[in-house]
Parts: sequence; C-alpha cells; structure tokens
Amino acid sequence: MSNYYVRRTARVFATIFAVATLTFGLIRLLPGGPFTQLRAQLLRQGVPASEVDARIANLQNINPNAPLWQQYLDYMSSVAQGNFGESISLGEPVALIIAEAVPWTVFVVLVSTILMFAFGIFLGSLQAYWEGSRFDKAFSGLSIALMSIPFYVVAVISLYVFAYQWGWLPTAGTVGASVEKELSIPFLLSALEHSILPIFSYTLGGIGGQALAMRGNSIQVLGNDYVRVARLRGLADRRIATRYVARNAILPMYTGFLLLLGFRLSGTVILEQIFSYTGLGYYMFAALKANDYPLMMATFLVITVALIVGVYIADLTYSKIDPRISAGGSDEAY
Amino acid sequence: MTAEQHGTANTTTAMTTDDPIIEIRNAAVTYDGGETFVLDHVSASIERGEILGIVGESGSGKSMFADSLLDAIPDPGRLSGEILYHRDDGTTVDVLELSDDELREFRWEEVSMVFQGAMSSFNPTMKIGGHFKETLKAHDADVSAGMEFGRELLSDLYLDPERVLDSYPHELSGGMQQRALIALALILEPEVLVMDEPTAALDLLMQRSILTLLEDLQEKYDLTMVFITHDLPLVAELADRMAVMYAFQLIEVADREQLIGNSGHPYTRALLNATPDVEAPLEEMRPIEGQSPAPINVPPGCSFAPRCPLATEECRVEDPAFTRLDSGHAVACHHAEDAREEIALHFDRHEDSIPASGGDEQ
Amino acid sequence: MKRTEEDDPRTLVTDGAGVDWRGSSTSSVTVTREERLREIYEESVRKPFIVAWSDSRTRLGLLIIGFYFLIALVAILGLWREPSTSQAPRYLMLFENMNYPLGTTASGTDLAALIIHSTPDILLMVTSGGLWATGIAVFVGTVAGYKGGSVGRVLMSISDFVMAIPGLPLVMILAITFNPKNPILLGIIININYWAGLGRSIHSQVLTIRENNYVEASRTMGVSTPRIILKDVVPNIMPYVTVNFVFAARYVVFASIGLFFLGVLPYSDQNWGVTLNFAYSGGALFSWSAAHWLLVPMVAIIGLSIGLILLGQGMDRVFNPRVRTRLAGESESTAAVDEKDTGMTEVL
Repeated sequence: MSNYYVRRTARVFATIFAVATLTFGLIRLLPGGPFTQLRAQLLRQGVPASEVDARIANLQNINPNAPLWQQYLDYMSSVAQGNFGESISLGEPVALIIAEAVPWTVFVVLVSTILMFAFGIFLGSLQAYWEGSRFDKAFSGLSIALMSIPFYVVAVISLYVFAYQWGWLPTAGTVGASVEKELSIPFLLSALEHSILPIFSYTLGGIGGQALAMRGNSIQVLGNDYVRVARLRGLADRRIATRYVARNAILPMYTGFLLLLGFRLSGTVILEQIFSYTGLGYYMFAALKANDYPLMMATFLVITVALIVGVYIADLTYSKIDPRISAGGSDEAY
Repeated sequence: MTAEQHGTANTTTAMTTDDPIIEIRNAAVTYDGGETFVLDHVSASIERGEILGIVGESGSGKSMFADSLLDAIPDPGRLSGEILYHRDDGTTVDVLELSDDELREFRWEEVSMVFQGAMSSFNPTMKIGGHFKETLKAHDADVSAGMEFGRELLSDLYLDPERVLDSYPHELSGGMQQRALIALALILEPEVLVMDEPTAALDLLMQRSILTLLEDLQEKYDLTMVFITHDLPLVAELADRMAVMYAFQLIEVADREQLIGNSGHPYTRALLNATPDVEAPLEEMRPIEGQSPAPINVPPGCSFAPRCPLATEECRVEDPAFTRLDSGHAVACHHAEDAREEIALHFDRHEDSIPASGGDEQ
Repeated sequence: MKRTEEDDPRTLVTDGAGVDWRGSSTSSVTVTREERLREIYEESVRKPFIVAWSDSRTRLGLLIIGFYFLIALVAILGLWREPSTSQAPRYLMLFENMNYPLGTTASGTDLAALIIHSTPDILLMVTSGGLWATGIAVFVGTVAGYKGGSVGRVLMSISDFVMAIPGLPLVMILAITFNPKNPILLGIIININYWAGLGRSIHSQVLTIRENNYVEASRTMGVSTPRIILKDVVPNIMPYVTVNFVFAARYVVFASIGLFFLGVLPYSDQNWGVTLNFAYSGGALFSWSAAHWLLVPMVAIIGLSIGLILLGQGMDRVFNPRVRTRLAGESESTAAVDEKDTGMTEVL
C-alpha cells in the first residue's frame, strides 16, 4: 500500500516535470520563437543591438545564443527555483504578478465550485425524492437549460444587466480603485462586491450538471435493497436520508469536485477577461496577446500544477472517504 | 377467479394448524388497482416454531408472499387481506391494521427478514457493527446488551464477532455477509424469521453450511422460520412443512414427507421430476414444458392447465379449490388422486434420499 | 414495479426494450454476408434508434439538431444573402423589418445572414471535434484495457499526462501557433486533450468486459486481438461512447465560441462567437437598443447546446445501466467512473 503512495507521489513530480518540458517546447513552437518579439521590443526601447542578448539573458535567465539543451537546463533549473523571469509587457518579476493574481482566482473558483455543488446536490436530492413529480420534471428541464448556457453568456448578460444597465455592481476589477489594498472592512466589502458577478456566472451554468448527477445517483441509491432493508429495520427517515441516501449518492461526486476545481481554473481565462478580473486567467490571456512568454508560461505551469495536485489529492483521499474504493483502484491491477 | 371463491376455499381445515403464529387470509397484491394480482388471494398459516419451506419458480409470487408477512410490498403495490399475528401473550393483531409506529416496532422485533443478495442489503459505506447499533437504537433497545447478543449470534454463525463488526460489507466474503445479515435479522430476538432466497448467490458448500447453522439457530432460539426458495431439494432438507407456489397462488401444502413422497399436484410432481439428481438416469429427467404465466395472462380455470398432462375441460374452466387430501395435506387440483397414480416420481424414495440440491433455474 | 414480473433481478438485465448490445459477436460463421449486414443494421442502427426515439428528450434533441442542419443547408445552397456591411439600415431591432428578421448590427449587417452562414462551419467543427475525441478515446481505452500489461500502462500514463495539461490554455497556445482556419482542424485542436479523461473511463470499463466469457472464448479460439476488440469489446461500450460523443461535441461548441469571442481564434470566418465579440466590443453592452445583437448569437449557441444535451441525456437514460437499474433493482458500481467523466465535461 505504501508502495502505491510513493509511486503516486513520484508520478506527480514526473508529470510536473513533463509539463514544464512541454511549456519549454511550446514557446519555441510559437510564431517567431520566444525572443524575436522581445528583441524587437528592446530595440524599440533604444537598447543597443549589441546589448540586447545580454539583456534577454538577464531577464529570462536564458542565453538566447546557447545551444537548445543548455537553454533547456537553464529554464528548468530556474523554474525549479520558482524563478520565472521578468514579464516583458509588465516589466515586473513574473513570480510577483502570479502571487498577486492567484488569491483572486482561487477565491472565485473555490467559492463558485462549492456553491455549484451545494445547489446541485440540494436540488438533485429534492428531485430524486419527488421523482416523477411536476417539480422534478420542471427542474430536470431547468437543469438541462442551465447546462446549455455557457458561463460566458451568463457573464455577458449579467454584466450587461446588473453592471451596465442597472449599475448595481461594478463592471470591472477585483477591488475599487479608491480602496487601499490592506485587510480592512472596506477592502473586503469591495472585493466581495467585485466578485459577485464572476462567481454568479461561474456558478449558475454548473448547477444543472451537478443537480442531474446528484439526482441520478440518489435515484440509483434509493433503488438499492439496503435502503429498503434499512426502512424495514425501523430506522428513522432522517437517518436513512442522510446516512444512507445522501452519503452514498454524494461520495462518488467527491472526485468530480476536486477535478473540477482544477479544470475550472483554466476556464478563468475567459471568465476573468470578461470582468477584467485580474487573476491568473486574466494575466494568462494578457500575456498571450502581448507575446509575453515568461508570464504566459508561468501561468500555464501554475494552472497545470493546480490541476495535477487536485487529481493527486482526489486519488489519495478518495479511498479514505469512500470505503468501497481501495487505494490504487482496479485500473492498476493489470 | 374471484376473491370470494378463494376466501371460502382457503379456510378449509386443511390449512389450519394447532398453534399458528401467523395466519394469512386472502392476501392479495396488485400493482394496477386490482386488474391483475402478483399474489392472488393466498391463505395459509404458519405454525409456531416450525420451519416452513415455500418453493416456486422465479416469478411465481413467492417474494410477494414473503414481503406480505411484514407488510413490506415495494411501492406502488397494494396489499389487501389479513395478516394475523398471534403474540406470545395470546393477543392477536392484524399486521395491515398497524399504525406506522406499531409497524415499525413489529418489523424486526416480532418478524424479521433476510433478503437474497446480502451484498445489497448492507449500506456499503457503513461498517457491519454500525448496522447492528443503529438497529438497536432505532428500536430503543439497550445497545451494549444488544451488541453483546449480536456477538453471540455472530459466534453462533461461526464468525469472528470483533472482526466482522469492524468490517465494511465489501471486506467480507459472500457467505460471511449472508451470515452477518442473518445475525442482523435476529438482533432484536424476533419470533419469526422470513428468508427470501437467502442462499441463492452462494456456492453449494456455503449453502449447506448455512442450512446447518439455521437449524441450530432455530433450535437454540426457538424461532419460527419461513424459508423461500426456488430450490426444492435445498429447502426439503430443512423444512418441517412445505408449500408450493405457482402463478401467484399456493397450490399445495403438506408435511415435508408427504410433499416429497406423495404430492398430489401435477406441478409439484413435475417439479420433483425436473430436479437434477446425480443418480437419476438422464432419460428420466423431465423439464416442465412451457412457461409459467405472467400476471397479465393468468388463464381462467387452473393456471397450470396449459402445461398439465392431466388437464381436462373442467381444469380449463374452473379454478380448483384448495382441498384437503390427507391430514395436513391440501392441494388445489381437480385430479390430485389421478396425479399420484399417473405421474410417477422418478427418484427412488428412501427415508433420506432427497434428490441432491443445486437445481438451478437461473 | 420490479417485483411484479420477476423475483430474480438477474433475469431483468436484458430489459430496456430488449436491446442486446452484445450483438452477435460469437455467432456462427455460416451466415451469409447479407444476413450479417442486415443483422448489423438491425442491432446497431434500427433498434437503438427506436429505443432512443422513444425518449421524448432524445426526440426533441434530434429535432433541434436537425433544424441546425437545415439552416446549414440553407447556407450551403445560398438561399439566404451573404452577410456584408451596410447591406441594411443600422441597428434594426428584432422583427422590425421582416427583410432582416433578426435585426442588424452597428455596421448594418444582417444578423440572420451572420448566424446562418456561420452554421455549416460550426457543425463541421463540432462533428470533427466529437469524432476526434471519442475516436482516440475508444482506441486508447480499448487497446490499453484489453491488452493490459505494459502497453496498457504506457497508454494510461500518456492519458494521465495529457489529462494534466489544462485544456483551454493549451488550446489557446495551439490556436495562436497554428492559426487554424479549417473548421475540421479547429474542432480537433479544441478537443486536443479531451480524449484523455474519456479514454480513462473506457479503459476501466474494458477491464471488466475483457473478463467476460465470450471474450475469453474468442481468445481461446485464437481470434486476433484487433478483431476481438472490434467485435467483442467495442459493441459493449458503444452506448457510453455515443453519449460521450454528444458531450464532447457540446464542449466544442462552448470552447470554440468562447475562444472566438475572446478573439483567440482567427476572425476571418463567420462564427457566432465572432458576432458576439463584435457586439460586446462594439458597444452593445451600453445600450438596450443593441441588445438583440448580443442576444441573437447567444440564442444560437444555447439552442445548439440544448439540442446536444437533450440528445445526450435522452440517450444516457436509454443506455446507461445506472439509470436503467432502477427498474432492474440491481446496481453496478460504475458510479465513480461516470461521475469523473461528467465532471470533466462541465468545464465550460
């Protein structure tokens, strides 16, 4: 068993290593390569041509004239130290930008995903409880409709209605311009106000899918003999609803929750753009548009690592939470 | 057929016993408001302390019979009739008249049940011990004393109590789960234990050992047992009395010896002859031709008539009443006497040469 | 109602309008080619269709998707004018001028023309993305699951790695790199790593399928591996694959339009996302009078995804043993696998 944990942990590092390598390769795939743009930019800024390469090496920890393997080693070793170089477009260390952006994104993604599951589980279990009723049919229809609306459509509409037309909520940013960036009540209120629309848009569409999943799970659990036996044994309805139905229906959704957390991080590329919400996704897109490769690659890596760690935690903890699953799973038996 | 017909037919002396613990009168289950019945006005009585074996094919209504005893027909089925339960103290209640709370108490404290497929009877995310505890709590029983009794039961069933109580269902083998489920059914010391195909999912060896354990339990705790199965030889080893179901009705009830050696219903005799026996020559093995009817097309008259070699016009028109054949032996057939003569039983009937178990229709 | 017909739930497994998905994999070799073809048609086309059609959601989904194909046909046959600037008065509202029923944009372009002429490419893109994702997933999942051993491990490690790469950012980088104009290629790029999760769950299903008697029989008879996979394994996962094809297709709709909207994908082609982007950046956010400019492409997007989801849901209900077992009263523990997968399709 411990062998499995060791192997699983080793795989996390192997995967992160592989993705870092991939990002290194990807930069070199991009039109013009990683340095053309930067060179042009530096030249425009009046840096003498003879010094350009040195400046690049200084900025990116990579000597553009070194052989590829040398560049690769330099890149990997600086990434390993958390040094992502300096952003071309923003002129700040990439690590600093990311450190400032990550909390906003994590906040929005975490809160919206939790809300999405909470509403989904609540609605889904009610639907299963009243299976076949008018309520069930109406909400099944609603769930399908919700699933069909991309979150960016919700985002644009809510921005249009609540921010631009009615002016109830801010149209952009993470906090008000006049608010000091320190931990204070006005700061928190402003942050909350700015996050309402992004969280709302990122939650709404997801509720449908979770509700349908929960509904299906609950209906399946309700059809199991052990629920019937529990009733015959005289258990209280409340205990059957929580300990039997809810527990067995929600547990399979746990892995989905952690995986979704990771996946939804990458969706912020679109979400944060619409709300000009300066999180990870916002900077990723900004970097992409500005050919700011150091920033782009760093955001890419951070999102990837979050994803890998999410899957890792899901794999390791699921067997603890659901006794039916043994760590390692049957997948690896052959 | 009508309810009245059966009602009168079934109250014949053949069906009464000296000290019944449960009397079933005209129990009928319908899923479509009375158009068709999946338990068709059955009457029977269960003697205190006996082991009653009920045999029937898949889809003969035998599970409905079992569920009726606890008023536990799965929704949206409707059960009508009377299920009279005679308590130890001489009082009698109709199970169908009990209030929700009374019913909750009645189940498991008076009459308890073991379903087929123990795997699906336990909550997969709760330890076996949790099932015992919550059952005791739900019935306001003394938990520590109850758990002590539970341990004893598990030991009686040759299980290691501590290990089993601390295991999740999937950590136990099928046979262990089935035994744990039997212990769970007995945790509140019920008078009657109803078992619906309790051994169907187990291998032959395990079936045997569970039967032996059940006999011991019955003796030790003075239980009344209703054992429902499709496996005639299996239940014949255990039962004091046996009943055969066909097409949602009881068609024959008799002492074990009578039913095995001297059955009066052509279906019972065909069933006995269709039972695999290692020693029987192959040419004597007789599958029963045709299929048992679905609830929507039970034929008028005797429901076995279309498959019966002895069927006459009378059989096709008039449903045979349940009549007494010998003492303690009742059968629903117009030609019971003829059947005994014309349908020979192929196995050599000794005192204890019941055909080998393992008849599998599944 | 389960207990009315059968006491033994096992006999109910073939329920679901009697479709036996295992087909005739081990049937005798003496059947003629024609009989075999007819049987294949019967088992894999007609019966599933009848079963699917019996579900009202599937029916509605098919009708909606059929409607989009009709629109595509209108565009291909040139039955509606091409969109161009200043072809009509600016900012016409919905149904204000029946020549331009969906109204016009700030530049006086017919919105209906924009929507209609975007449809064929979008359908192409959606189909190719769906086929790509499910095709690779089926290949990787079945081969890894059936072969097992080191082949399986290598394939699954690759899937794990691909799964770990965040989809949308990767697609954005690839889109900028390759600047794909061909809708078929675009569909593939958008679902470039979608197959991994699906492949994983197919893999675990195949692990159980390969233990089945008839697969073992084929193996002992010396049937070749590709043949076993094709004849014995794939038919079993087909229902699951069909459902997931629909979900993969929906993902393409969501992602592609999102990326067009962001301006990551090339603007040259007409696309609902591009229309949305122009509306968004062209000031439609600031005035009610241009609301329809935003609304029309949104409705087009939502309509198509409703059609796809209805289809997927309906088919899921028909095929998915988890839903069907409610009737049969027996459950398989594929729950975890399923959830994982639906989870991933919810990204957008």
